[in-house]
Amino acid sequence: MEKLSVIIFSFLTFYLINKGLAQDTKPKTDSLSYYDLDEVVITATRSERQRKDIPMPVKILSREILSNTGLRRADEILNEQTGITSITDQSGFRGIQMQGINSEYIMILIDNVPVVGRQSGNLDLSRLALGNIEHIEIIKGPSSSLYGSEALGGVINIITQKPTDSELNLKTDVAYGSFETSDVNLSAQQKLNDFSYSIFLNRLSSGGFDLDENLTGNTVDPFQNYTFSSHLGYKFSENLNTAINYRLFHQNIDISGNSEEWDTNITSITKHQWSSKLQADYEFYFTQYRADQLIIDPITDEELFNSDFDQRLFRPEMRLTFNPNSEQEIIGGIGSNFEFLERNLFENEVSFNSQYIYAQYSFSPLKKLIVIVGGRFDTHSEYDSQLSPKASAIYKLNDNISIKASVGSGFKAPDFRQLYLDFTNSTVGYTVVGNRVEEAVIERLQNNNQILSLIVPPEELGQPLEAESSTGINFGFSYQKNKFNFNFNAFRNDIQNLIDTRIIARKTNGQNVFGYINRDNIYTTGIETDLSYNFDKNLKLSLGYQLLYAFDKSAEEQIENGEIFIRDPETLFTERLDRSDYFGLPNRSRHLANFKIFYNIPKWKAFANLRLNYRSKYALFDTNGNAVIDNFDNSFVDGFSVLNLTLSKTLFEKYSFQLVGENILNNQQSGLLNLPGVRITGKIQYQL
Amino acid sequence: MNNLRLTTFIVISLLLVACSDDDDGMALLEVESTTISNLHAPQQGGQGQPVSGEFTKFDFETGEITNSDTDWDIAFRGTTIAVNGGTATGTTDEPARTSDAGIAILNATFSEVEEVPANQVFEQDNASGFAVPTGSGNGWYNYDFATNIVSPIPGKILLVKTTEDRYAKIEILSYYKDAPTDIDPFQDETRYYTFRYVYNPNDGQTTFN
Repeated sequence: MEKLSVIIFSFLTFYLINKGLAQDTKPKTDSLSYYDLDEVVITATRSERQRKDIPMPVKILSREILSNTGLRRADEILNEQTGITSITDQSGFRGIQMQGINSEYIMILIDNVPVVGRQSGNLDLSRLALGNIEHIEIIKGPSSSLYGSEALGGVINIITQKPTDSELNLKTDVAYGSFETSDVNLSAQQKLNDFSYSIFLNRLSSGGFDLDENLTGNTVDPFQNYTFSSHLGYKFSENLNTAINYRLFHQNIDISGNSEEWDTNITSITKHQWSSKLQADYEFYFTQYRADQLIIDPITDEELFNSDFDQRLFRPEMRLTFNPNSEQEIIGGIGSNFEFLERNLFENEVSFNSQYIYAQYSFSPLKKLIVIVGGRFDTHSEYDSQLSPKASAIYKLNDNISIKASVGSGFKAPDFRQLYLDFTNSTVGYTVVGNRVEEAVIERLQNNNQILSLIVPPEELGQPLEAESSTGINFGFSYQKNKFNFNFNAFRNDIQNLIDTRIIARKTNGQNVFGYINRDNIYTTGIETDLSYNFDKNLKLSLGYQLLYAFDKSAEEQIENGEIFIRDPETLFTERLDRSDYFGLPNRSRHLANFKIFYNIPKWKAFANLRLNYRSKYALFDTNGNAVIDNFDNSFVDGFSVLNLTLSKTLFEKYSFQLVGENILNNQQSGLLNLPGVRITGKIQYQL
Repeated sequence: MNNLRLTTFIVISLLLVACSDDDDGMALLEVESTTISNLHAPQQGGQGQPVSGEFTKFDFETGEITNSDTDWDIAFRGTTIAVNGGTATGTTDEPARTSDAGIAILNATFSEVEEVPANQVFEQDNASGFAVPTGSGNGWYNYDFATNIVSPIPGKILLVKTTEDRYAKIEILSYYKDAPTDIDPFQDETRYYTFRYVYNPNDGQTTFN
């Protein structure tokens, strides 16, 4: 912490001295806009809308914010935002958590269409390169009223750069850093009359690292990955244009065996302005995610793990936007999802299809009030139809204060794994089966004399799973005056019918057969605040904080009834668990905080960007056998801070140099977090 | 007067009780409270393979491990616990059940179980499984796939009706040698039970104090 205060102090001192010296040359413009409230957001309402008119908690990470950090991947930049943290689950899969809601329940979009390819529900955002990203929009709270399944906790939309200029914009940068990391970006974009194009190429590779010598294998294995992305646009007339976006990601991880990933997205979007008040959007989207993994024991050549995963989604959608006048807007959409998954842990290729329709009405009943109501109806081939309503409102008390409230519902359909998995662990011998194949798998195991007894009545096998669903409330206000900007939001998310595993049968080898069941009811509640202050155009400070309580309702009830016990860590004797010792859900920190300084020195054409992220202690899993996380468990990870510093200088107009120091406080964490020590990267950028 | 008479009565009663120690017919044995450390319960096989190996048998009357084929109450092999009552479960190398012992699992702290609850039902081993259900989360332990640790579920108290029709309560404390408080699943030796129990050797008594 001392190192930290020295760094912050030197920053401020340096600024004050510099400011004193530069006093006479300082431009004095009162109309300076310190905060860009006119930024346009598309995710919140599926229509372009200014941020100040959006009644949900929304955050925009502009191109400038992204490039000023020098970070390379989406997970890295999101991890620096208030209330968002990158987590690793018990099985080692990574994803992001928002308002205490796990990655499984957060929808990730690239240019408004969903990214697929989740592992145990988690979507690893290190797949997404930042090099050609225009901005990132983050909407918190259930958004299934527009986006359907998965948008239970919120939506993150990653918007790529589109050509705006008739001049060729060519950019390249090369970075090299710790752990033999190298990152190369190349992008070009241009708008030629009615035709526009952009291409982007990225190669990222790393030599990997090993934080724990005692464990076999590397913490992170060496890898190389490539991203290619392109955008082609054509304007047929003032009222009709089409764009085709393509993205391909390929990754190869060097392990004993083979590990490869492919991620492809193709979207075609046609916008047709039927009249000045009515616009139609036609969207065709195809995506495929493939991951092949074969792990071989380097000594015995024994096959340890073999998994082939091939998921495809095809989604046509049509959307109409009707603006009868400036106070009203009606949006309606209709579409279908066709999903396929081939996986060697499944017996056959499986497929889903679903149809959906949604509508949203935005109006202004009072001069300072905007109300948005909407809903979506999803039908599905495999589970019950879902209706997801949402209502929100923003009231602008005066020029400085806005009050926002939103309430909505969200859902997540049972995924392929929860329906069709048929997996037996070869070393331990337990079996996990998806809901739809429970009967068939049990019958097969019975025929092989592997079942000792059924734990659930036979008629319960294969009873349909329900979708997991949530209700979320967000209430807050924003205050913005001159150099000062403050946002406050209180949230509560209640999630019902969470799908968990349960034992359905005992095997003759003493192990269990697990099935899936709707069981847990959880809630996450807390507050989040963002405060920023711009001393002037060249010095900006910001402070973000989230307070979070995340508990399982039935665990709370059981503790209340005295049904949950702990073991005294010293005597090993059993005692009843006290409510005050119930810590809550795994991987949740009570406090998340960030502090950022951006300091620009125009006469040097240089800037420094310092970001501190703090995460308070959290637990990974239960260790004392009572299935809840309590203060007597020993899987707690102590609170820690990560400090990132980016220094940048522009030379000869077209070149800029960046030095990025990640985790410069050198907080190492092994185990699931796998946080390596200091990483330094140097980057040269050339712009034509 | 009344007080004096009462006091006299109490004194005499106490003398009588004290004297009864010497009286064989009225002998009350002391309730035993003990901890057994590192009861080794090895097994062959497991991890998907057929399980075999002799059970380690325990007798509450002597408070010791026994080789007797009949005079045992409970027996251990790996995470499996057998009771000397009922019939064979069908697993290889299991001991024959020779008496009418039984076992029940209560959800409570050890000290809260002051006596055998009225109308308590005791389970016995049979062809459809053990009285103490096997498998993680079913009986006395949890197995964590992520950490590879077997931990006794806190709050599970085993109540035993013994071969001699006496009662004992047991709390299993550890499955690892020397009951380490911080278990290293790769270092610490497993299949070593540490448990504490209270045994009431008196016929017809159901209390544990």
